Amino acid sequence: MRLKFRVTLLLAMLMNVCLYAQDNYTLKGKVMSQTDNEALPGVSIRVQNTSTGTETDFDGNYTIQVKSGSVLEFAYLGYATQTVTITDQKTLNISMVEDASELDEIVVVGYGTRKKSHLTGAIAKIGGEEIAAVQAVRVDDALAGKLAGVLIQNQSGEPGADPKIQIRAASSISGASSPLVVVDGYPISGSIATVNPNDIQSMEVLKDAASAAIYGSRGANGVILITTKKGKPGETKFSFNTYTSISSKYRDNILMSGPEWGAHARAEIAAGNWTSTVANVDPAFLEFRLSAYENSPGAISPEDWLFRNGSTQNYDFSMSGGSDNSNFFASVGYQDTEGIVITQGFERVNARLNVDTKLGDKFKAGLSFNGFASRQDAVAHDMRDLLRAYGVHPVYHTAASIAFVKDIDVQAQALGKSPFDNGYRGGVGPTSINELVPGDRVDDWHYGRANNGIGGSGDAGPAQKLDNADLYRRTYYANLNSYLQYEIIEGLNIKTVLGGDFNNTYDYYWQGLGADSRARTDQTDLDQTDLTRTSILSETTLSFSKVINDVHDISAVAGVEFQNNYFRGTALRGTNVPYGLPANFGSLAPSDVLTSERRETRSRRSVFGRVNYAYDDKYLVSASIRRDGDSRFGANKRYATFPAVSLGWNAHNEDFLKGNDFFSKLKLRVSTGSLGTTSFLGSYQSLSLLDPYTTLNGLGFLIPSDVENSDLTWQTNKETNYGIDLGFLNNRFTLGIDYYTSDIENMLIRQSVTEIIGTPSIVLNVGDARSSGLEFELGASVIRNDDFTWDLNANLSTVQTEITKLGGLDALPNQVYGQSGRGPQFRNYVGGEIGEMWGLETIGDVEMKYILDGSRHPNSQTGESYVVDQNGDGQINSDDYVKIGQNTPDFYWGLSSSMSYKDFDLSMQFQGSQGGEVYNIDPLYYGSQWGGRLDYASLDADGDGKADHNGHFYERNRNQTDAMIQDASYIALRNLTIGYTMKPDLVSKIGVNSLRIYGAATNLLYIMGSDYTSYNPEGVETTNSGFAGPTTYGVQVGASPLVRSFTLGLNVNF
Amino acid sequence: MKKIFLLVLVSMLFVTACDNDLNQFPPNELSAGSLEDYEGVLNAAYYYQLGSATSMAIMGDFRADNAFMFEPPYTEFDIFSGTNLKSQEDQFFRPFYSQLYKSILSANNVIENSTNATQVGEAKFLRALSYYKLILAFGDVSVNLSATPSSTDTSIQVRQPKADVYNNVVIPDLQDAMTALSATITNGRASKFAAQALLGKVYATMGDYTNAETNLAAVASAAQFSLQSTYGDVFSTSNELSSEIIFATRRSSSVVDEYTYASEFPGWFGGNDSKSDYPVTEEFYLAFDASDTRRNLINVVSASPFQATSTKYSLATSTDQDWIEIRLADVILLLAEVRNETSNADGSQSASILASLNGIRTRAGLGSLSGTATTQATVKQAILDERRFELAFEGQRWFDLIRTGTVNAEMGQTIDTNYYVFPVPQSEVNATNGVITQNAGY
Repeated sequence: MRLKFRVTLLLAMLMNVCLYAQDNYTLKGKVMSQTDNEALPGVSIRVQNTSTGTETDFDGNYTIQVKSGSVLEFAYLGYATQTVTITDQKTLNISMVEDASELDEIVVVGYGTRKKSHLTGAIAKIGGEEIAAVQAVRVDDALAGKLAGVLIQNQSGEPGADPKIQIRAASSISGASSPLVVVDGYPISGSIATVNPNDIQSMEVLKDAASAAIYGSRGANGVILITTKKGKPGETKFSFNTYTSISSKYRDNILMSGPEWGAHARAEIAAGNWTSTVANVDPAFLEFRLSAYENSPGAISPEDWLFRNGSTQNYDFSMSGGSDNSNFFASVGYQDTEGIVITQGFERVNARLNVDTKLGDKFKAGLSFNGFASRQDAVAHDMRDLLRAYGVHPVYHTAASIAFVKDIDVQAQALGKSPFDNGYRGGVGPTSINELVPGDRVDDWHYGRANNGIGGSGDAGPAQKLDNADLYRRTYYANLNSYLQYEIIEGLNIKTVLGGDFNNTYDYYWQGLGADSRARTDQTDLDQTDLTRTSILSETTLSFSKVINDVHDISAVAGVEFQNNYFRGTALRGTNVPYGLPANFGSLAPSDVLTSERRETRSRRSVFGRVNYAYDDKYLVSASIRRDGDSRFGANKRYATFPAVSLGWNAHNEDFLKGNDFFSKLKLRVSTGSLGTTSFLGSYQSLSLLDPYTTLNGLGFLIPSDVENSDLTWQTNKETNYGIDLGFLNNRFTLGIDYYTSDIENMLIRQSVTEIIGTPSIVLNVGDARSSGLEFELGASVIRNDDFTWDLNANLSTVQTEITKLGGLDALPNQVYGQSGRGPQFRNYVGGEIGEMWGLETIGDVEMKYILDGSRHPNSQTGESYVVDQNGDGQINSDDYVKIGQNTPDFYWGLSSSMSYKDFDLSMQFQGSQGGEVYNIDPLYYGSQWGGRLDYASLDADGDGKADHNGHFYERNRNQTDAMIQDASYIALRNLTIGYTMKPDLVSKIGVNSLRIYGAATNLLYIMGSDYTSYNPEGVETTNSGFAGPTTYGVQVGASPLVRSFTLGLNVNF
Repeated sequence: MKKIFLLVLVSMLFVTACDNDLNQFPPNELSAGSLEDYEGVLNAAYYYQLGSATSMAIMGDFRADNAFMFEPPYTEFDIFSGTNLKSQEDQFFRPFYSQLYKSILSANNVIENSTNATQVGEAKFLRALSYYKLILAFGDVSVNLSATPSSTDTSIQVRQPKADVYNNVVIPDLQDAMTALSATITNGRASKFAAQALLGKVYATMGDYTNAETNLAAVASAAQFSLQSTYGDVFSTSNELSSEIIFATRRSSSVVDEYTYASEFPGWFGGNDSKSDYPVTEEFYLAFDASDTRRNLINVVSASPFQATSTKYSLATSTDQDWIEIRLADVILLLAEVRNETSNADGSQSASILASLNGIRTRAGLGSLSGTATTQATVKQAILDERRFELAFEGQRWFDLIRTGTVNAEMGQTIDTNYYVFPVPQSEVNATNGVITQNAGY
C-alpha cells in the first residue's frame, strides 16, 4: 500500500464518524482499466475538499458515502486522474485511462519511498520487467548499459564470477568499489548475484551523496536497492520461465597450431624474409624441424583444446497471491551452466518466500526468505599458462603421435642430435618415449627440446596441468528478514526490522604431482577454506508522512540500526600430497597441513534521520544525517557524522509553464553531502596482532602485518550533484543531465613503507582525490500507437579523477603490477589520475631478421621494440618512462531500444566503452614456450644497447613498454531479444493467462579496438599478489574469453 | 494484545543493541604488546633466516663463476653492467632484504623485552647474522635496533657505513652472544661457537686478521666439531646437524618460508628450474682434479655442449635440506686464509698453513697441498681454490672473491666495483622517498 493512500484511508476512517451527515447516501461502482478491461484494485477515491475517501477492493469495487454535488476524484498510479460530479446516481463505473505523462512512479529510497517527481538526488530506477526481459543469468548482466553512471565490467568472464560494478567514480584508490546492496531494506553481506533476477520487482541505484548519505558509512560506492516481488490480492497466479542457451567464445583463431606455424615459417623463408635469422641453423636440421611442425599428427592449437561450446539451462517457477489481509510470493529456480572453457561450470538452486500480513488495523508484519546453494567450477590452472602451450602436439597421445615422436627422434639422432629421452626432467609420466601408450598425456619433451626437436622448455603438457588439478567453490546462502510495523497515529509509523544472513563458502583446490614437470612434491597442494559469514541486523525506524492543505507534503524518518558481521572459518593448506592416491587430507602427514583460523566480529551502530518537504509539487527539499560507529576503526576515531541536503524545483509546475504541451517538464536539482567508507579495511586493521605460525623450533609469533593505529578512521567522500530533467511533448521525449564532483578525504590507503619496520605497507588515512563526471540520459517514446510502439533510451557517462593530495608525499611508490614483473609501472601522484600506467615509449618492433632462429618464434614477433631515450642521457631506465595508458574509459554509454508490433516484441541493448586501455600480457606468452631469442651479434655488435643499423635503443616489450598497451574500447550488442506473445483467447483454452516464447542473443556483435589481440578486452587481472585496487588496475592476464550465446526461452503465466 | 506487540517491538530493539560492542578483539589471537614469554618471537627470528637462503645461494654461486643462468632476464646475474639486475628484485633481493629485517625486528623484540639470557643471546646472534648477510649483499645498510620502530623515523632508514655496523652492532652482539650462550648445540640453535665462528668470519671480512685468527682458531680446535668422513654426508638430510655443522638455518617441507621460493636453493643447483636447466659451468668442472671425489657430485649430462647439474643436495629430499651457514671446513679454510695473512708474508709458514687443510684434502681423495705453494700469494691462491671446491653451491664463492680481492682475476674480466654489491630493493628507495639510497651502478 502506498503511503499516501494509507494516510488518506486512515484519515477517511477517522473522519467518517463526524462527517456522517443527513444528505449522504451510499454510492457503489467498479473501476476498470480502459486498456485491458481488467478490474483495478487499490484505486484511491476521494470526495474533493473533504477527508472522505476510500479505495477499490481487489475486484475493483468500491462504496463511498456521497451527497449530490460532491466532486469525486479517482486516482491511480499511471492513470489519468478523473473527477466526476455526483448527480444523485447510485452506481458509478469508471474506466481509467493510462497516461504516461501523469505516471508518477514511486521510487524506493533509503528507509522509505518517494514520488519520482519529488526526488532531489540522482537516483536511477530499473523495473523488474526490464531485468526479466533480458533473461540474464545474473542481475548485473541485465543491468549492463542500462543506467548512466553505472559501469559494469566482466573482468573475469568466468560463469558465476562477480563482475565489477562501479557507480560513478571509484570512491577509493585502493579498495574495492562494489556498491552496497540492500534487498527489501536489508543490507546483505553477499553480492548482488545472491538475488534471482526473476524475483525482482524493481531496482534503484542511489548515485549521489544526498541519496546515499542515509546509508552513511557504506554509501560511498553507491547503493543498489532491490525490491523483490510481493503477492497481490486475488487469485493465486503461477509463472513458469525457462530458457536454454548455447555459448561459445566470441573471438577465434588467435593461436596457431604447429602445422599452421610450420607452413607460415616455410613461406617466410621461401620469400626470403628470414634469410638472416635462419642462416646460422644447419639447413638439414631446419628442414627436419619445419617438416616435423607440418606433419605432427593431431597437433592442436591450445585454444582449440581449451575452449568449447558452453550451455545454460534455467528454470524458474513462482506463485503469488493473497487476500485483503495477507499476501505471498514464492519462487524456486534452478540453473546449470557449462562454461566455454573446459572444466568451467556453475550450478545453482535458489528459493524465495515473501509474506506480508496485517494484524488487526494497526499492525503489519512480514517475513522474507531468500536462499541458494551453488557450485562454481573454475579452471584449476592459470589460463595464461595453458594458452602458452605448444601447438605442435595433441593433448593426449595417439598411436600415430607416438609413432611420430619415435620417428623424429631417430631422424634427429641421424642429424647428430641427442636422444629425446635426455629431455625427461622427472615428471610422473613415462620416462622414455619408447614407453608411451595411446592415451598418455603429452609432455613437451616427447617432441624433443630446443636443441634436438620441436619442443621447447620441457614444461609439463597442458593435460598434465589441468587433469591434475581441481578448483571449485560451493556456496550456501540464506537470508531471513522480518519486520513488524505499528501505526501509532495517522501518518506516524514505527517499524522494526530483525534479520540475519548466512553465507557459507567452501573453496577447494588440489594440484597433484603430475602438474609439475619435475614432479616436485612441494609443488603439490591440497587446500580448503571453509568460511561462514553471518550478519545480524536490527533496525527501528519511526516514519511520518502527511500532506497538509494539499500543498505541504512532509515526510520524515528517523531510526537506529545495529549490525554485527561475524566471520568464522578454518583454512587448511596441505602440501606433499601423495601421488597415486585420491586427494584426501587424511593421507597427508600432519606436519604437511597448515591450519589457520578466522574468528572475527565487526560491529556497527548508527542513528539516522531524514526530512523531505515538497511545496505544491514545485519546491522540494530534503535533508538527512547519519552518525555511524564501526569497530574496525581505531579506538579514538570510531564515530563519524554524514550529513546531506538537496533541493529541487519542478519548474514545469509553475504557472508560466503549466499546460505547455511542448515543454512538459523542467526540473532542476542540486544536492551535496558526505559519505563514509571503510574501503578495504579488515576487521582488526587498527590493531597489531601476532600471527602464530609453526616453525622448526616450535610455535613462532610472526611479525604483525599491521601497526597499531588508534587514529585509523573513516574515509569521507564529499559529493555535489547538479541535475536537470527535461521533458518534451508530454514527456514523450525526456533528457536528464547530471554533473557531479566528488572529493575523497582522509583516503584510506596502504602506504608502502620501508620493510625495515617489518611490513611492506601500513594502512593510513592519507591524501585526497577529486573526481567529476557528466551523465546524460535520453528517453524517447518514438512511436506509440495501437499496434506498434517503439521506445528508445540512451545514456552516456564520463568520469575524471585526479589525486590532489597524498599526505606529505608527491606520489605513492611506483609499482610494477602484472605477471612475474611483466606489467606496466603504475604511478599514482599528486596531479595525476588514479592508476596511470607508465613505461617506455616504443617506436616500432625489432625486425624479425634479427632473431636468432625465426623458425622457433611463432607470432612472427621478436618480442622487442625500439624505445625512446626521453631525457637523452644515453641510457634507458625508468627516468625515460612516459604515461602509456589508463584503464578508466573516457566515456561509456548504453542504448536500448524496445519495439512491439502486435504480438511481437523486439529489444536491443547496446553497450560501449571508449578510451580505456589494458596492459595485455597474454601476447607475450602465446607460443613463448617455443623459445627464440635475438641475435645480439647482428643487432648490436658493440653491445651498447643500441641497434647498430638505426642507432635506436631496444628493449624487451615485457619490460614496461607501451608495446603491450592495447585499446580496451568496445561497442557491443549485449542483447537482442525477439519475442512472440500468444493471443489470450488462444492460450486461455489451455488454462493459461499468457504465453511468450522468445529467442535472444548476447554479444551477437562485439566490436573491439583494432589493436586488441586477445579474447576479452574487459578482462582485468585482480588476483595476483600485489594487487592494490584502482591504483594497479588495468592489467590483463589470461582472462576468460568473451562469450557469445544464443537463447531460446518460454514464459508462461497461469 | 497491542501491549504485547509493543513489548516485542521494544525488546527486539534492545536484544541486539546489547550485543553490539564497538570494542572488538579476536578471541583467538594475541596482541603484540601482551606477550610474556618471548620464545615464540625468537622462533620467528630463526624462521625468517629461511627467506635468505636461496638469495644467498644465487648471489654466492650464480653471480660468481660456479653456476650460470640460462633464460633471460635471469642471465643478468652473469652481466656486470647496466641496471637490469634490478629486475630480479621480486624473486631474490626483496625476499632476502625483508626477511632479514624481519628477523632483526623479531630479535630486537627479544633483546628488548625478554628476561631470559639465553633467548637474548640467541637473538643477538641472529641479529648479527642478519646484518652480516645484509652487508655482504648491499654494503652499507640501514640499522634498526628497536622492537617498535616508527615508519616515519628516518634515522633507521639512512644507510650506515658498513664498518660502523660491524663495529657498533655486529661485533658487540656476537661478543654478547658468546658470553650468554653455551658451547653445546641444542636442536641446532645458536651456540657460543656459532657466535665465535661468525665473529671470526666478520673480522676476516673486515680485514682484521688478528682477531679473525683468534676466534676461528678457538672454533677449529673445539673438540665437539669434526669433519664428516664422507663429503656427501655433510649434505645428507638424514645426517642433519652433524658434528661438522656449526650453525645451519633449518628447513623442513612442512614449514614454508613467506615467499615459498626463498628456500628452494637445492633446485637451482640441481637444474630443477627451467631458468637454468644445467647450472654448473664447464670451467668449474674442468678446474677440479680428476681424482677429487667432490667432483662426483656434479652430474655431467652432456659433455658437448657441456651440460651439468649438481647433486650435492638431493632433489628428492630438497624440501628438508638445511641451509648451512657455517661449518667446520669453512672455519678451517678461513683460518688458513687469515694465518696466511697474519704470519706468512715471507712464505715461511706455507707448508704448515697448507697442512692444516689435510683433513679436507684427504676426505676429497686428494693428497696434501703442503709443498705445492711456497709464497704468500700462491698459498692464498691455493686456499681460495680449495674453498671453491669444498664450499661450492653453499653461497660463498662470490663473497670469497670480494673478501680476497680476486674478482677480476678469478672471473677473467674487469668488473666495475659498483657491481661487487647487489641492488637494494627499489621498493625501499621508493617507499622512503630516497632516504634509503640505491647502490651506484643500479
